Amino acid sequence: MTFNSLQFLVFFMVVTLWFFRLKSQKGRVWLLLVASCYFYMSFIPEYILILGGTIVIDYLAGFLIEKNTGSTRKFWLIISLIANIGALAVFKYYNFFIDNIHTGINFFGNKLSLPVLEMALPVGLSFHTFQAMSYTIEVYRGNQKAERNFVVYALYVMFYPQLVAGPIERPQNVLPQLKEFRGYNWDNVKEGLARMLWGFFKKVVIADRLAMVVDRTFAHTIESSSTALFIGAVFYSFQIYCDFSGYSDIALGAAKVMNIRLMENFNQPYLSRGIQEFWSRWHISLSSWFRDYLYIPLGGNRKGGLRRKFNVFIVFLLSGLWHGANWTFVIWGVLHGLLVILLAGKTIEKNRSFIYTACRVIVNFILVTFLWIFFRAENLGAAWEYIQRICSFIGGSNYIGIGGVEFVFSLMVIAIMMLRERYGKGFFIASNTRFYLYTAMMVLICYFFGVFAENQFIYFQF
Amino acid sequence: MFTKALSYIFIVFGLVALYMSTSRKAMQFVAEHRDHDKWWGSYQMKHGDLVSLSYLDFVKRFNPPPDHTPLKKASYTGQKNIALYLHGDSYSYHLPDSAFAGVVDYHLIDRNHGMNYHLDSTKRNILVLEVSERYARAYYSSLQIFDELCDSLIKKKSIASCGYQRQLYQASIIPGFEVNDLFNKYINQNLQANLFNYNFIFPMFEYKAALNYYIFNRASGDVVISKDRNFLFLKETVSLTDVGSSYAPLTGGDIDWLVNKLNTIYDHYKENGFDEVYLSIIPNSATIMQPEGYNGLIPSIQNNKRLRMKVIDAYTAFKNSSELLYMPGDTHWNTKGRQLWVDLVNEKLAN
Repeated sequence: MTFNSLQFLVFFMVVTLWFFRLKSQKGRVWLLLVASCYFYMSFIPEYILILGGTIVIDYLAGFLIEKNTGSTRKFWLIISLIANIGALAVFKYYNFFIDNIHTGINFFGNKLSLPVLEMALPVGLSFHTFQAMSYTIEVYRGNQKAERNFVVYALYVMFYPQLVAGPIERPQNVLPQLKEFRGYNWDNVKEGLARMLWGFFKKVVIADRLAMVVDRTFAHTIESSSTALFIGAVFYSFQIYCDFSGYSDIALGAAKVMNIRLMENFNQPYLSRGIQEFWSRWHISLSSWFRDYLYIPLGGNRKGGLRRKFNVFIVFLLSGLWHGANWTFVIWGVLHGLLVILLAGKTIEKNRSFIYTACRVIVNFILVTFLWIFFRAENLGAAWEYIQRICSFIGGSNYIGIGGVEFVFSLMVIAIMMLRERYGKGFFIASNTRFYLYTAMMVLICYFFGVFAENQFIYFQF
Repeated sequence: MFTKALSYIFIVFGLVALYMSTSRKAMQFVAEHRDHDKWWGSYQMKHGDLVSLSYLDFVKRFNPPPDHTPLKKASYTGQKNIALYLHGDSYSYHLPDSAFAGVVDYHLIDRNHGMNYHLDSTKRNILVLEVSERYARAYYSSLQIFDELCDSLIKKKSIASCGYQRQLYQASIIPGFEVNDLFNKYINQNLQANLFNYNFIFPMFEYKAALNYYIFNRASGDVVISKDRNFLFLKETVSLTDVGSSYAPLTGGDIDWLVNKLNTIYDHYKENGFDEVYLSIIPNSATIMQPEGYNGLIPSIQNNKRLRMKVIDAYTAFKNSSELLYMPGDTHWNTKGRQLWVDLVNEKLAN
């Protein structure tokens, strides 16, 4: 069940209305848990068992960590981490690992055939395992009490708006909200719905429209001109942003309607003046997860310049691998890491001219765009070929999968999106009349200008 | 009070909509009881399936006048002793036995309903496996359409499973409702049919289709307009990633795998008494009408030296024909294409 499906719209309506009809928080938690199970099972029903297994282990580990001290406490944390990382290793990385062993052995002329896992990757596995790990780590650090109520804990991991693509939440933010009964709040409903509509706009009007160009240029690299490929790469930057931040807007909006505040995941990343700033504005919940649970424990910047560089490199390497079991993601992460290391000393001066700032934003955007090519390409060879052809300024087909009018329209909606996010003031609309007009207008725009091709959100695959 | 009542109404409405759209029996019931002529009736397909999918009924080029030319009766004068088993899809539905040469016993087998047969050894038993190109790889690579073949291979321990799961959930929670219905993969199409497929809403779909067609120069959703703008193609037959596409790149491994499966099918039905088993892959309309960039799936299979199954080569005949053999707004062939294929089958039956 993707957010941009009719099934989700009907599901959301039923669950939300039912949620507000219940008079106790216990009932609401149960309702949300059952709804979240149905939401998750609508992808592949059997995979609920994997998720359920890790939930039970982490719930028990939380207790045992809290109850014990010293090495026993650490032991239970390690058990929890092994369960979560083990699930990732088996279901996400096992085949990648085996493929590489096969390649290595075949390179030396030997034949070996190890068994591979013939199953699809459980949806959102990287997201919910990281969220579950943040719980046991926080309990271990003493920042969070172990949750007694299993249903509440299960809902913390499975809360459907952020179950399959984040934001990767922290227990301190979500658990208290799941336990507190809050009455119906029309202002929150308006704000949540307005944000959801903005998310739908970004997904169906922008991201899925740009996908037509991106799919075309990445599939026809050899015969496309440099200009067409460059347009494809730039459009992919906006596609992935609108797709993922659109998803986050819908997730945050859906939660807000039910009076639950989730953490922000994006802050206009393409207006960043440097790569380090970009990472403080892009996928914030993942960046901060790596900062809090990997970078700082590794020593952060407390152990000298060389060690700091090493720590940054490790974080970005793992961040790349987190996105997918493919060398394209690894290289994407490594290149980002190297850029952050190389450009670390370049602080952003205040009070510089608009032109200077604009130039930095443009240069950073182009840099990020080129790195996205690795993220989007099927393999490293394809990515390299794409980049080579852009840089060689050679001719070829200028066809980009859409006509001239639609190209101009695409640029227009990108500009509207950027301006709205730069100058818009949140999603709350005080006047009811303006809210109804906004809703009607957005529904009509999404319907008439939306591209409905049942495209999944890009980050669902992670 | 009013708000409370309203919210309960919406909850019930939503639950009913979800139930109706997940239960196959409920969907069937609704389809059978809707009055199509009334304003609440469903949108009826008046032209081709692709025209209907894209709501481009207003574009005359895709909607030529209907052609009801019947199939010619087979002009065969020899002895009629053939039992023809035609295992096919929507291309071969409704083909009458009179069209086939020498056929005394005709069995049209819908591939969705399994392969049941009781051969009469006094007749020449011929099995024709007809499949449209867009389904060829998906269906034959897992043997999923041949239940009894799967069972036989599992019994012989040739395979461990058929590569798909057959009816995992059969428990019935509510009469007419099964657990696997809860996760019906067609729920979105069904919801669209139940919530929006009404005559009075249809103009909205047409406005959107017109906007895309006249302003953005394309069709909506799952339909693509051909480069010469005279045909509609199903998106999955022209995309570069779909398994049913004419343009999705093939690997040698894909063909080898498919040929192995076809050989397994061939051996099985030959062992079980069929005198001959033919394969006939009907090309996607894009394969014939827009051949640049064709991935060559059909010739790669048909010309493969390891393929034991005999072939009724529709691809070459269609490619070499100067006639228009497909409907411009439909995935299927027109009456000329149908006749040409029947003639090809008859050539084999007569020999």
